[in-house]
Amino acid sequence: MLRQFVLGFALAGGLSAHAYAETVTILMESVPDTEYVKTLVPEFTKETGINVSLEVVNYAEMHTKLVPQLVASKGSYSALVVDFYWVGEFTKAGWLQPLDDRIASDKFDTSVYVPKMMDLVGKVDGVTYMLPFYNYAMGLLYRKDLLADPKNQAEFKAKFGMDLGVPKTWDEYLKQVEFFTKDGMYGVVNQGLRPDPIAMEWSNYLFANGGEYHDDNWKPTLNNEIGVKAIEQYSTNIEKYGPLGAASFSFDEAFNVMAQGKAYSYITYNFFRAGIDDPSKSSVVGKVEIMPVPGPTPETGGSLNGAWGWAIPKSSPNPDAAWKFLKWVESHQTAKKRALQGGSPTRTDVFDDPEVNAKYPYASALKQMLLTSHNFPVFTYTPQLVEVLGRELSLVVAGEKAPAEALATVETEMAELARKDGKLK
Amino acid sequence: MNQPSTIEAADRRFGWFMSAPTLALLLAVILFPVFWALFTSVHDYTLIAPNFDTFTGFRNYLTAIGDSQFRHSLWLTSLFVLGVVLIEFAIGFVVALMLNSVVRFKPIYYGILLCPLLMNPVIVGLIWRMFLHPSLGIVNYLLTVLSIAPVNWLGSTKVAIWTIVMVDIWHQVSFMIVLLLAGLSALPKEPYEAARVDGAGTFKAFRHITLPLMWPVIIVTLLIRLIFAVKTYDLVYIMTRGGPGTATDFVSYFIYRTAFVSLNVGEASAMSAILLALILLLTSYLYRYMRSLS
Amino acid sequence: MKQTFKIVIPHVILTVFSLAIVMPLIWLLRVSLTDRITAYKIPPEIGTLGFMNYYEIFERYAFVSWFLNSLLIALLATAISLPLATAMAYAFARFNTGGPLLRLGVLASQMLPPIIIVLPLFGVFLFAGLLQSRTALIVAHLTIALPFLTWILVSFFEGDLARLEEAARVDGASRWQAFRLIAVPVAAPGILAAGLLGFILSWNEFLFALVLSGPGTQTLPVGLASLETHAGVEIAPLAAATVVSLLPVFALLPFLRKHLIKGLSLGALK
Repeated sequence: MLRQFVLGFALAGGLSAHAYAETVTILMESVPDTEYVKTLVPEFTKETGINVSLEVVNYAEMHTKLVPQLVASKGSYSALVVDFYWVGEFTKAGWLQPLDDRIASDKFDTSVYVPKMMDLVGKVDGVTYMLPFYNYAMGLLYRKDLLADPKNQAEFKAKFGMDLGVPKTWDEYLKQVEFFTKDGMYGVVNQGLRPDPIAMEWSNYLFANGGEYHDDNWKPTLNNEIGVKAIEQYSTNIEKYGPLGAASFSFDEAFNVMAQGKAYSYITYNFFRAGIDDPSKSSVVGKVEIMPVPGPTPETGGSLNGAWGWAIPKSSPNPDAAWKFLKWVESHQTAKKRALQGGSPTRTDVFDDPEVNAKYPYASALKQMLLTSHNFPVFTYTPQLVEVLGRELSLVVAGEKAPAEALATVETEMAELARKDGKLK
Repeated sequence: MNQPSTIEAADRRFGWFMSAPTLALLLAVILFPVFWALFTSVHDYTLIAPNFDTFTGFRNYLTAIGDSQFRHSLWLTSLFVLGVVLIEFAIGFVVALMLNSVVRFKPIYYGILLCPLLMNPVIVGLIWRMFLHPSLGIVNYLLTVLSIAPVNWLGSTKVAIWTIVMVDIWHQVSFMIVLLLAGLSALPKEPYEAARVDGAGTFKAFRHITLPLMWPVIIVTLLIRLIFAVKTYDLVYIMTRGGPGTATDFVSYFIYRTAFVSLNVGEASAMSAILLALILLLTSYLYRYMRSLS
Repeated sequence: MKQTFKIVIPHVILTVFSLAIVMPLIWLLRVSLTDRITAYKIPPEIGTLGFMNYYEIFERYAFVSWFLNSLLIALLATAISLPLATAMAYAFARFNTGGPLLRLGVLASQMLPPIIIVLPLFGVFLFAGLLQSRTALIVAHLTIALPFLTWILVSFFEGDLARLEEAARVDGASRWQAFRLIAVPVAAPGILAAGLLGFILSWNEFLFALVLSGPGTQTLPVGLASLETHAGVEIAPLAAATVVSLLPVFALLPFLRKHLIKGLSLGALK
């Protein structure tokens, strides 16, 4: 009698536990793509019966919130989004679950991703830890209406002896920056705030001049003619061709200068392309286009790559449900719906989708940007490298250090970090 | 003969009885973290390998002291702390004295000065970034209307730290006012009446009655504001990230980066312990000074 | 003549000071009534005006939840910390409980940068099973408020007060009565100020709230910080949210009117 009662009680308990709908809790940063995912989540719940709770925090503070969670053996988050900055750190510390088994058993196709995306926020040393979520590769926003103005065209030709048009090379672009700094307009607005805005933006200058951060053996290759030239161009652009105070602009201040129609160009994250056509933020709707940052030759690009990936932490309370969510959110269908709302794709089949291209004609430019982009060094100490680089660049822009001296410091500290990480022998 | 000592013992018991709940709570929650931090400071503890396997003794301390960037950040912080604490005290004391002397509109003045205090530093930083935008901000626009050249508030190495000081004053000066005003309202009235009978002027009364009676409150106000000012990091994080160059790289932000960017919690703990020792030294000095006055 | 001068001068100074505080807030109010493009127009234009940002903070963001969480946590943290700190401060001031060492020790925990405390503190709440709960935030905020409030209040219990209490003790009052009936009323302005600052400490605290909160328990500072997005600052809704979050001050004014004017002074008891 008693046993039956206990058994019945236990059964009822077990049943009711099943009746409880499972919840996938995900910590996300506040970006447009998070908003888009939020609108699609009800479809997932309808399909699987699993609830989704998205906790949104300030992107810059997210790392601080995540670390204690990840150090703990059992955390609160089923799945995470991971910036490429943290990939090295998180995998080295062993905080993420490898996804290869799940990918294989569910036959999830990762070959649809742009290969550079998988390199950046997918695989680390051959193991897949993440599915690329959205990309924030940097591109060149420029005022196409100013380029098309016949008066500008004539003046430019007279001054530089070449036609004014969409810049094919980096040098051509720099000439345009100089040219458009007139009549209260600035040729370019820069984001000179340390550490990541300046470090990320300057990376484009480095790549555009044909430079790279390191050679195949992780030996730093910054302190040379190219590196110095890139820094000099950068500080000239801030001082001579940019608005007052650009040395401390974050992307918000810089974007607002561009959106108020006061600058010809701005090198920034590609999702600002959608923002510039929002009439509540921008007075230059329809006048701005985006393109890959031009490289030293017309065939090469100078864009910096960047992305966030989905991952399941080791401390996840319900990894299986989390994987279900990842599979759903990264399916062609969901990814496409997100792109149609204005999101940044990472999948080739979304980039090439006719509907997406019809709605956003610049989708092909974004794809081109990814294909010609360069990756920032991804290793355990990426954030610290960004910090060092940001500090030294900021010192040069502030006029407190010579370019070569600053680059030498970056090289020393970078080599030290790479050595600590076992990358540099 | 043994009565005074029983009274004393009862006093002591009553004192512990009154402090027990608070102490118990503090012990339960904060004691472990503080000792954890001190313990970590003598180990090679990083976020990549969060364990206490390697005891390093004072190596983290030596590294921290040997780091010129860290010393630079300490120097900048002292400059900032000295600036905000003294200026806020000067303004705060004057306003508190005035506020104590008026009756009409007092709640309105008080309500207004509470507003900045109820704003989070993150918000204060963000809205001031907007106001101080060199070309799109209202402040520089008003300056140009007055035909003053626009100021590069956050982008110049010479100006940036003072801009942060200015914003901090706007945000935190009311903290001083609230405390000093409370101190003033708690002052006894008789000495003033006696002084008036003796024909002493306002200034004399201030110098010989208000100031001496206010010392304990003044010292505590300065001390607490100082501790908060040393910990300022949100404002810098939002407004300059320690830049341009290293012009506003305050020590709290520096420690934050050592722990969560460089992932070196051991060294960050050592830096914190050094900071703790410095503030503790200053506090006990101020505390003793306060005792000697009363 | 001199008398009017004496009345006018404070009001002039206070008006100038209040204007310095309030002018940025007025501009903030204006930003809250327009969109981002208008907010950044220089020279300023009237542009679009409306309450769309106020609508947005309630519709698109969990403003109500942030606000109520913050209010609840700050009120409870203050309600708990104020009597506790008052009692301990009294013990420190009157009986020198624990000596200077304990006094400094209590405050010392607040001299470490919170970023160092946050990792082990997370561990404490993980151990207690309180992560992501409002209780965790209240307790965390208590540990910040208690040391500061105690120090503030000690300074209000020191001084002439002791003699008064002794007189009462001679008249047969117990220690508790001396504390309750004499010390507390005389130190009332200090207790009120300390309570106010305790509330503000909790209301504005960001780091612990960020790390210890979860879905549904985010506080106002954490929620508002998420308006600084990777795609720029949502400055207009942010301004609207700030304006709304300041409104309680004005609800507080009638209360302040009664208590602010003067604390019970020593003279009143003699």
